[in-house]
Amino acid sequence: MSAHLVEVIITNKSGVRDPEGETIHKHLILKKGYSMVMGVRTGKYLLMTVSASSAEEAIRVVKEVCEKLRIYNPIVHDIEVRLHT
Amino acid sequence: MPLSPEEINEIRRVLGREPTVEELAMFEAQWSEHCSYKSSRILLRLLPAESRYVVVGPGRDAPAVKLFKDFVVVFKIESHNHPSAVDPYDGAATGIGGIVRDILTLGAKPVALLDMLYMGEPVDPHANWLIRGIVKGISDYGNRIGVPTVAGDTWFDASFNTQPLVNVACVGVAPLNNIVLGSPRPGDLIVIMGNATGKDGLLGSSFASKPLAEDTDKEIGAVQVGDPLTEKLLIDSLQILVSKGLVKYIKDLGGGGLTTAISETCADHGLGAVIELDKMHTRQKLVPLELLVSESQERMLIVVEPSRLREVEEVLTSYDMPYSVIGYFTEDGLIRIFYKGAKVAEVPAKELARPRAVRRASHPPAEALKGLKPVYSLPQEPSYIESLVKLLSSPNIASKRWVYEQYDHEVGVRSVIKPGLGDAAVLRLLDGSLRGFAVKGDANPRYTSIDPFHGAANSVAECFRNLVAVGSKPIAIVDELNAGNPEKPDHFWYFEMMLKGVAWMAEELGLPVVGGKVSFYNEDYRGRQVKPTTTIVGVGRVQDVSKAMTMDLKEEGSAIAVVGVTYPELGGTEYLYRLFGLEEGEIPRPRPSSELRNAMFILKAVGMNMLNAVHDVGVGGLAVALAEMAILGNMGIEVSVDRIYARGVQRIDEILFSETQARYVVEVKSARVEEFKKLARRLGVHISIIGNVLDKPVFTISKGSKYILSADLSLLRDSYNSLERVIEGGV
Repeated sequence: MSAHLVEVIITNKSGVRDPEGETIHKHLILKKGYSMVMGVRTGKYLLMTVSASSAEEAIRVVKEVCEKLRIYNPIVHDIEVRLHT
Repeated sequence: MPLSPEEINEIRRVLGREPTVEELAMFEAQWSEHCSYKSSRILLRLLPAESRYVVVGPGRDAPAVKLFKDFVVVFKIESHNHPSAVDPYDGAATGIGGIVRDILTLGAKPVALLDMLYMGEPVDPHANWLIRGIVKGISDYGNRIGVPTVAGDTWFDASFNTQPLVNVACVGVAPLNNIVLGSPRPGDLIVIMGNATGKDGLLGSSFASKPLAEDTDKEIGAVQVGDPLTEKLLIDSLQILVSKGLVKYIKDLGGGGLTTAISETCADHGLGAVIELDKMHTRQKLVPLELLVSESQERMLIVVEPSRLREVEEVLTSYDMPYSVIGYFTEDGLIRIFYKGAKVAEVPAKELARPRAVRRASHPPAEALKGLKPVYSLPQEPSYIESLVKLLSSPNIASKRWVYEQYDHEVGVRSVIKPGLGDAAVLRLLDGSLRGFAVKGDANPRYTSIDPFHGAANSVAECFRNLVAVGSKPIAIVDELNAGNPEKPDHFWYFEMMLKGVAWMAEELGLPVVGGKVSFYNEDYRGRQVKPTTTIVGVGRVQDVSKAMTMDLKEEGSAIAVVGVTYPELGGTEYLYRLFGLEEGEIPRPRPSSELRNAMFILKAVGMNMLNAVHDVGVGGLAVALAEMAILGNMGIEVSVDRIYARGVQRIDEILFSETQARYVVEVKSARVEEFKKLARRLGVHISIIGNVLDKPVFTISKGSKYILSADLSLLRDSYNSLERVIEGGV
């Protein structure tokens, strides 16, 4: 058993709006002249330290946690679970 | 819900030809139950809607009622049940957005929100997740637009585990002369302001007009994310446009999107319109059909005279508010839709806006008999303290602090009574005077599921009493009827009975039903309806907010009195459910004459400064009302059941826990008791002086020379404050 760092990134699905990102883009970035920035999407980031026998096992545990404890809503959100490097 | 073959034939008849795909989409959106009220319209005419205070009645996005001769209150209720079942956070949040925009359509300033939430059992993991998401969604959206959530109602029941009812209301105020009462004229411009239109919420109303599928994952088009920042800009920029007199008419783009907004505006004013869809500001590339029925949030339609357009554009630009001028009104009653020069639809406005009303089949199910069953053979009475503790810790009675502490209930400094302390919220008008208003929302899903007619009437009465208890004079209500599938006669019967119950009680109490909403298809994928629920939101006039009453006991030695007669009415009570697991029996009778008489008595006694505290008797009955007053005031009481005026009771639990209507508990100032009794005699009101307020924290009820219930106040307080533990520890 060893400690694995697992990252979770939760964002709204691509078809679902992200008013927070839109606001940062429109009212901050574009206003300050960075017109080359074409879009902003926000999300939620979690870093979990998991004691597991392997990296794959750690990822499986984190995926289960996110699903069972409703850390994200599969109807609205995309989720990415990956090892921290 | 897709159009039926008969409806498609009807459309062919209206148009005299085959409809285009765009026209079909317009009819599908507008003829959905959600937008057209086709199943409910015939029965809705039963509701009384007039009084001398009504300035704008039902039919517009929101009604307006004269609060004082120079001030109106604009208030409305809305449900977001289906979206909240799929995405509780965003579903509830966008519900707030929608109801706030309804208030904006008359040019009023939104000053208060209410949320009436009928949710699953906190111990069910899915229901618990929905509860947290819904409360958080309302809280975040409300806080960000700067409108406080001041009152509400909650109920927890297994029938709502996957299908919650999220009813939200907004109250706005405006000087009478400022509200927007103009009518569009031919040649006036149609301007869409607010968010860019996108694919989100395509045919959302259609989605809300059918049962939820088991696999809601596929309903992605119906998911919408609230954008409170844009909503706040809408609120602020509309205030400016209205104060400068630049807009003639305002309409929300809600269910049915652009199609509904245009067709209803045209139909209501006998107009037609020419619309160029390619002028709409959009977030992504959309085809004409999508532009017509997208329900993207935070958009509004304003009607502007061509000569004022430049000034309107200046205001909108100064707020960074995206907008587009998409067309104009015509006199011919036809809506013509163009896209890049080509006509894609031509539809008569009236026929589109108002499909033929349907008289649905209506039949009581056998189950409805349980509401006729007298309650007489209950097991032996459990100990009274055990019963009281169980009731106080019931999620339906316990303090809702967990809910309202997540809301900003003070922004705007209007609140006079803090949530939880009074039976209704009381707010200042903030015009330099002491004038204000009270507002409250109520429902009892158990009553309406057992006996929809009397249950709905009781919701009206409960709301009426709540408004009276804070010392306000009720002036109008709005209703939200949450029902099952209107195509099923045994579901529709509940809707019909609830509506008739509201109509009857509102008429009897002299309260106009100035607006409302119907939500059908609240059933799960197995076809079981949730408990049909009638939610009532009422507004009362407050002449002097400094006299508003709270329910907490205040003074040692003052007298405790019960106003009204207690009957053995345990059917459908919280007591029967929590102690015996029964949800049946004759529910407490609505008593309109007693309500009016007792309300007048309370208002007089409040006006004459005789009282320290007032609390209406509702769920849980007298014992719970007394306990709430003691807990909130942190003062003990000593009362005797023998002195409680009751008729026909055989057991003490009937006195303590019956939910008989038209009753209040009041704290009478010790020096005013004789005057209080005299006033009651003069008005023909039954009162019972049952005991006193103590300065030590003990809660005692005696019979004869014996204590039948004696408890330390801290034990009762602990039970009453248990909701947070139930929800936070529920998974």
